[in-house]
Amino acid sequence: MSEQKPDQALRRSPLYRRHLQLNARFEELGDALVVSAYGDTGMEPRLGVSLAVADLCCLPRTGFKGPGAPDWAADQGVELPSAPNTALAQADGSLVAKLSHQELLICSDMQGHSGLIDRLNHQAPAPGVYSLPRADSHSWLAVTGLLAAEMFSKICGVDLRTHKFAQGQVAQTSIAKINGVIVRHDLGATPCFHIFSDIASTEFLWDCLLDAMEEHLGVAIGVAAIRSLAATE
Amino acid sequence: MKLLTCPLNGQRNISEFTYGGEYHPMPNPNSTSPRKWAEYVFFHDNEAGVVIEWWCHTASSFWFLAERNTVTDTVIRTFEASEIFKRRIDFVEPTSGDIT
Repeated sequence: MSEQKPDQALRRSPLYRRHLQLNARFEELGDALVVSAYGDTGMEPRLGVSLAVADLCCLPRTGFKGPGAPDWAADQGVELPSAPNTALAQADGSLVAKLSHQELLICSDMQGHSGLIDRLNHQAPAPGVYSLPRADSHSWLAVTGLLAAEMFSKICGVDLRTHKFAQGQVAQTSIAKINGVIVRHDLGATPCFHIFSDIASTEFLWDCLLDAMEEHLGVAIGVAAIRSLAATE
Repeated sequence: MKLLTCPLNGQRNISEFTYGGEYHPMPNPNSTSPRKWAEYVFFHDNEAGVVIEWWCHTASSFWFLAERNTVTDTVIRTFEASEIFKRRIDFVEPTSGDIT
């Protein structure tokens, strides 16, 4: 466990002030410091099964858009989701979401492995393919737990109940008045909704989520709990 | 809350959408008169009846078209712009004599 504080790291989450207020413990992830846990490391995965939010802003992600983007990505070995507004897990654990006929969002696994993302980002641009580097423009929060859909019903117009919003579905909608992309990609057996939204509004969205979660006793959890949930069947 | 159906994202609250003005076929900017071009760019017919309008689903920045009755405020159908725009339109820089 690192004793470093996020303002000493090369990269930090836009939520680092919130994490310091919550007495978070940090760990290194590449050149960034991410929250390992806030409280009891053994307890946090259990909180995540009920209702929790995690900050994944420092994990790798990218995007591509344009008429040539789907074919180009397929040529690079990306397995494409069949329809817009669906997501598909890749063999290496990363996740590819198709946001329209011509737009892809690609995010890493919960360990932050960026092999596919680095490979795509370093390819020479092809005709009709435009890079959308999402890491600096979009925040990444994960809301986990069986009560997540009930909590979302207060701040989001889309019905995210698990029997209505299946694993791998994507909704581009408004969450607490912030435009965002919601991708359902469960962590093991725990429902998980990944939110990608404007990075400048991350603190506002984080506060809204924690406020909406309060009545369900939802809390913030670190990446250690997220990885633990992802490892369970 | 009114609802509108986005061709890409499905039915959503109207607060997720932005109105983009009436749709009119674009005249050739290099051969049409300045008056006609100004009408195309700036003027609306404001017709009472069925019109075609641009709408944007702001959460996904997806522009599409809606056929709407402005008297009853009933949306007849929404459809992707690719139904009308089949190919990319590139603008050719006019020669000096084209604009008077």
